[in-house]
Amino acid sequence: MSITLSAVNLKKNYNDVAAVRGINLEIKQGECFGILGPNGAGKSTLLKMIYGQAIPTSGDLFVLGLNTRDQMTEIKARIGVVPQDDGLDTDFSALENLKLFATYFNMEKNSAEARAEHLLHEMKLADHQHMHVEALSGGMKRRLVIARSLLHEPQMLILDEPTTGLDPQARLWIWNYFEKLKVQKKTIIITTHYMEEAEKLCDRIAIVDQGVVLDVGTGPELIKKYIGTEVIELEVEDQKNYWTSKIKNLDIEFQEFESKLFVFFASIDQRQNFLQHIQNAHYLIRAANLNDVFLKVAGYQIRGEA
Amino acid sequence: MIQVWLRNFLFFKKTFLVSLFWTVFEPLMYLAAFGFGFGRYVPPIEGLPFIDFYFPGLLCSTAMMVCYFESTYPNYTKLTHQKTFQTMLLTPLSAQQILLGEIFWSATKGMIGALGVMLVSIMFGLFSLKFIFILPVLFLISLIFAAFGLMVVSIAKNYDSFVFSTSGFIIPLSLISGTYFSLKDMPQLIQWLAYAFPLSHGVQLVRHILHGQTDIVFDGIHLLVLICYATGLIFFANKLFQRKMIN
Ligand SMILES: Nc1ncnc2c1ncn2[C@@H]1O[C@H](COP(=O)(O)OP(=O)(O)OP(=O)(O)O)[C@@H](O)[C@H]1O
Ligand SMILES: [Mg+2]
Repeated sequence: MSITLSAVNLKKNYNDVAAVRGINLEIKQGECFGILGPNGAGKSTLLKMIYGQAIPTSGDLFVLGLNTRDQMTEIKARIGVVPQDDGLDTDFSALENLKLFATYFNMEKNSAEARAEHLLHEMKLADHQHMHVEALSGGMKRRLVIARSLLHEPQMLILDEPTTGLDPQARLWIWNYFEKLKVQKKTIIITTHYMEEAEKLCDRIAIVDQGVVLDVGTGPELIKKYIGTEVIELEVEDQKNYWTSKIKNLDIEFQEFESKLFVFFASIDQRQNFLQHIQNAHYLIRAANLNDVFLKVAGYQIRGEA
Repeated sequence: MIQVWLRNFLFFKKTFLVSLFWTVFEPLMYLAAFGFGFGRYVPPIEGLPFIDFYFPGLLCSTAMMVCYFESTYPNYTKLTHQKTFQTMLLTPLSAQQILLGEIFWSATKGMIGALGVMLVSIMFGLFSLKFIFILPVLFLISLIFAAFGLMVVSIAKNYDSFVFSTSGFIIPLSLISGTYFSLKDMPQLIQWLAYAFPLSHGVQLVRHILHGQTDIVFDGIHLLVLICYATGLIFFANKLFQRKMIN
């Protein structure tokens, strides 16, 4: 498969803040690539370099075989972007927003209008197309921004937290829509804080923090590599020392978090074996998921900056 | 570039009547109060009745004010709250095209303002076919202050920044540029100060054209200064805007 995006030792400094500190990535044609990372990890900065609103401090970045350094106009004509901020034109209605955006792409008037109406219909916004964007709900605005990103039939989509702030129904609906885009073999790069979203949609996932990629892999690969198959959440309260030394002796991986221990199991047998050692404690058994991976790789502490 | 201009035009069309009302009403108030009212108590200046002397100043300062205000507040909102420029940048439009589109739009509004003054002038018997010849001068003034406005937008920290550029620069400029009084009678220092900035050159040029007092050398210099200011400020506005949008 051909490479749609490649970043080579990509760096970005804002004055004295190093937002991206040497990222190497290759994203394949038709792939849905997820980027996970805590607040301030550098996700948006990475995407902004891809769509040309941030200039790399050093390194190389190729998108659709074009160099971001001097072929940004061509790149922008072929990618669709959902930025973290909607950036809808609040002086106009939903339909007018799409029509204006089409003029910026020099799209032919009639086909642009047909395309806009088609997308509004697809995004279930047809009944609201004449409403001012200010009057739309958060979910409707986000859907309008997605429609906007698809207007010029881009080959590749760049989605910066497309579902943040949406209710579960809206999110489910948007996931379903992205699945359809995947069938059309569009390359998608998506950032998200919803692990479920990444697990569901993404072929491969990169976990980034402090401007570097900590690891890349498919969801199941990452889960297997960092966690295993199952997790027991053990309530230990004031007996933390007792339990930690006990689990250490059994040579099982675990993570302390407040009054809990997360215990990771490579197999169901190992978990069964462990359960024999537990008396008088509250616990919960569940399948290992991407959330466990994320917390383990990026750390459990809250970021001061957001 | 034209798309950016067109976006503003489409929005302008929505509030057309309100805009037009102010465009005509403001110069009407000024001409009535200063030209007609106050002017009757003032002896002729540079051989002209006060209202004839003042009218070119009003034309130029209206063009300046209208396009300065059009290029500042709405554009700062588009840059910060609405993120309209960031959205435009997601398309093949470049920062330079956006900037030029906005400058030409603000200049268009400046011209609409000046046309409003011309329209009102009919009521005061000031209308003249020579208005045709001053249009390019008014357009240059509009370009200059549109570019200046966008420079301020590109470096502004918040809306208060515009209070400084308005009260500290634009308003004083509208007062000292030979609009209300003859610069000839002023101390050398004031004259130098006034001629360091573009508005006074525009006012002189318009006044000379309207009253048939043109002088190839002096008015050639006035025109040259305006052209230099326009090119220079558009150049710097482009640099600053580019740096603001893509960093
Ligand atoms: N324009 C800017 N000027 C200065 N610093 C910036 C700018 N944009 C981002 N930063 C800094 O760069 C770092 C990375 O920010 P970025 O927006 O890329 O994070 P993010 O991963 O998208 O976070 P979030 O999940 O909160 O959206 C942060 O420390 C941020 O403060
Ligand atoms: Mg972000």
